[in-house]
Amino acid sequence: MTNEAMLEIARNAVSLAKQKGATDVAAVARVKREVDVTWRDGKLEKITEATSRGLDVRLFVDGRYAVCSTSDLRPEGLASFLDNAIGLTRTLAKDPHRSLPDPALYSKATPEGLSIADPRIESITALDLRRTAQGMEEAARSVKGSEAILSVTTNGYHARHETTQVHSNGLEASFAGTEFSISADVSIKDDDGRRPEEGEYAYVRMYADLPDAASVGRRATERALARRGSKKGPSAVMPVIIDNRAAGRFVSYLLRPLSGAALQQKRSFLEGFVGKPFGSDKLDFADDPLLPKGLGTRPFDSEGMAARRLPMFEKGVLKNHYIDTYYGKKLSMAPTTGSSTNLAWKLGTKTQAALALDVKDGLLVTSFLGGNSNDATGDFSLGVQGFVIRGGKIAEPIAEMNIAGRHVDVWKRLIAVGNDPFVYSSGRAPTLVFDGLQVAGT
Amino acid sequence: MGHDLRLNRRQFIEMGASSIAAASASGFLLGCAGQALEKPTMAAAVPSADAPRVSYFSRFGVDEGMIRDALAEALSRGADHADLFFQHRVTNGLQLEDGEVNRAYTRVELGVGVRVVRGDQTGYAYTEELTREAIKRAAQTAAAVADGPARPGPTAFAVGSALPQRYALDVPWDGIKPAQKLPILDGVNAAIFKADGRIKKVSVAFMDEAGAILIADSQGRLVEDFQPMTTLYVSCVAEQGGRKETNGYNVAGRRGFDFYSAETVGRVVREAVARTTVLFDAVPAPAGEMPVVLAAGSSGILLHEAIGHGMEADFNRKGTSIYADKIGKPIAKPFVNIVDDAAQPYARGAINVDDEGNPAGTTTLVDRGILATYMHDSISAKHYGLKPTGNGRRQSYQHPPMPRMRATYMLPGPHEHDEILASVKRGIYCQSFSNGQVQIGAGDFTFYVKNGFLIEDGKLTRPIKDVNIIGNGPKVLERIDMVGKDLVIDEGGWTCGKDVQSVPVSQGIPTVRVSSITVGGQGDKPSGKG
Repeated sequence: MTNEAMLEIARNAVSLAKQKGATDVAAVARVKREVDVTWRDGKLEKITEATSRGLDVRLFVDGRYAVCSTSDLRPEGLASFLDNAIGLTRTLAKDPHRSLPDPALYSKATPEGLSIADPRIESITALDLRRTAQGMEEAARSVKGSEAILSVTTNGYHARHETTQVHSNGLEASFAGTEFSISADVSIKDDDGRRPEEGEYAYVRMYADLPDAASVGRRATERALARRGSKKGPSAVMPVIIDNRAAGRFVSYLLRPLSGAALQQKRSFLEGFVGKPFGSDKLDFADDPLLPKGLGTRPFDSEGMAARRLPMFEKGVLKNHYIDTYYGKKLSMAPTTGSSTNLAWKLGTKTQAALALDVKDGLLVTSFLGGNSNDATGDFSLGVQGFVIRGGKIAEPIAEMNIAGRHVDVWKRLIAVGNDPFVYSSGRAPTLVFDGLQVAGT
Repeated sequence: MGHDLRLNRRQFIEMGASSIAAASASGFLLGCAGQALEKPTMAAAVPSADAPRVSYFSRFGVDEGMIRDALAEALSRGADHADLFFQHRVTNGLQLEDGEVNRAYTRVELGVGVRVVRGDQTGYAYTEELTREAIKRAAQTAAAVADGPARPGPTAFAVGSALPQRYALDVPWDGIKPAQKLPILDGVNAAIFKADGRIKKVSVAFMDEAGAILIADSQGRLVEDFQPMTTLYVSCVAEQGGRKETNGYNVAGRRGFDFYSAETVGRVVREAVARTTVLFDAVPAPAGEMPVVLAAGSSGILLHEAIGHGMEADFNRKGTSIYADKIGKPIAKPFVNIVDDAAQPYARGAINVDDEGNPAGTTTLVDRGILATYMHDSISAKHYGLKPTGNGRRQSYQHPPMPRMRATYMLPGPHEHDEILASVKRGIYCQSFSNGQVQIGAGDFTFYVKNGFLIEDGKLTRPIKDVNIIGNGPKVLERIDMVGKDLVIDEGGWTCGKDVQSVPVSQGIPTVRVSSITVGGQGDKPSGKG
């Protein structure tokens, strides 16, 4: 389906909904083309290839509001879909805070140089992905110690998304994005019957930014082999380093309570902190939707508001919330944007290895397992695995352990951040070092 | 942050309503809506003897000729098996916030997935265009997984014996007007505020869903099923002395409107209020290894994580599960029996037939302490030379099926609930949960406790909250040393995630004791005064 066809579908939905009695309408037409190839133990495991499409319509009818989405784009399907959706909307309570965004906030022109859509995707086939995946497995099995391998699964994936947005108060905009990923997961046999699995991956906007696939395969095996002999350590309060790949998960528990909905619904431990210190001065990042090649980069947000850089924490002081049009009105706050994009951290100067030397004795967390965080109170409790840090060096692996605390205390104990943003996630977190977290084990 | 690849590859479970909560935060996601939307209806479920075999989907122009063409194309490069999965699903949501039902969501999914299987290799493609040409193109794409001479497709289709009717509704959801649903949300809201003055915010999310599926395969099988679903999710925020706490309750099932009796709604209100306000008395949970007693019901999350995922046959076929090579071996006390059951009437995890068209019954995972059967889809069953167990499930037409749980629970055991509590000197009692996760190979798993109590000298004393429990599957199964008689299948809206795909599931368990497991609290071990 072409860009023009999707624009036509979105325009048509807007005008049809207006004819049928909607006061205002926002329509988003989406099309996605994806190819996903999984290779396992010497042969192809699964290949998925498809183009899918859908339409989301936000309806504002006589002061009432509903959101509808459909994958049934037949003209007869669309007409009855809108009839029913508008009828439904009329049964709801009025909501004076619902409206389309102020058109002054709409995107005027697509910013230059975002580099999020790679035309090269057209020339990369499922067969190319298959060869890449096969090569990753061979590399994974070439590592010393690979006789312990039980299974290697590798994957190549790419997708192209196109979003076309039409609003009845004067927005017509669209953008395309591509994504490419390669990954390898290795299961190995351990002495005690455990079959630890670890992996490595890369995830980028531009094909040329993918690392050498063989290095990803080798790294996956190295990571898996390092998990052998994992033990549970004693319960204690100790310094904890969170690896940059794992840190994004921990940071996301700061983002959830930053939403306007959380704030207005009293579900935010960050309420009242704007302009006040919340964490240590090392807690410092901005939301940057315009970062070239960023995985979260977008010219405008889901409401059509033009993207702009937003400081979130500066030297530990909270600067902004993620406020959309609706909760902005409810809170009498100016809208910023409703959701996070790329996080641009103020980085430290040291590598993870140098930070471990500073810490001397503690725990390096390389991944989280389950757990959760309470957005209203800031209590968290998270399963972890990783390594003991002893004498400043990475020592034996640990598993089946947990860290817990309260965000409002713990972020004050952020004593250092690394120079190493994890670029294969929009969170782009560096290695984080916390002084004195409660660790549970034996 | 939507862009974290790693998050997509986890095996986890969570309360299904969290996606609705996300929708309200980001403003754009889930679905809900109107009455006469071409909704799948039970009326089409029982075709008369001379009706065309494609009954429901004929309204979208789907016929047997189109299916035959597509299967022939799917087999054009010599596959072992091919199938088509047509789906039409309409989801309606209503949400109450700040005292008003002021937003609605509707989602319509219509499409077909084509799967081509050669050995244990899968080719998959899907399309939203239900035209002869579009489906043939998808079949051609999926067929690329094979590379042999064409095989003939079925010339006729047999509709198998009648499916069981585990969730037939007297009044289907398409017969219920939005105006009939609104009082449920308004009533819950009013009753909660009336029940306790400390409650400051209430949000209520109501969802109903009508789904139709049609599976046609290269063996000439043709199956249609109609799958209703509903959930009511309530969340409260309470304040006391400047402190805030939040919690809630939810119910779910393949139920109709009549599910929302005064009794059900009353239970939702009572539980939501009690589970929230008790948190003001909570003390920090301890940290370290200790005995843990799991309350009957949603503690079945332990089974889901500690053994359920590890018993999904795909991980065992690949040799990556900690349970690979353990069939026939003792793994728990002889009074431990665990099943995965498609047949629980009206359960959220119930199915009449799986998403490959295979009959779905009860799979015994652990029989008197012995590891009995993996959960299979057709690919793993063929690999092991067994019959499929009806565990082949998928999120939607956009995904190929794989072995998944349905309703996973432990059968009643020999102990009394009070006897189990009395046996613990210092430990914790876990009552309600929000989510869990497992590593299939290492066997480590977690589940997050929202409500619980300290156990001191055999008695429940002070409440605890927000604490993760972490253990290792086989080790924890060995340490289940008491099992109560009081099995409860939880009524909550659980959703299980695996390889990007979410499916509705149920879980249950009697009161059980685990002699030792790690509790991830913020405090020291229970001090044990008195």
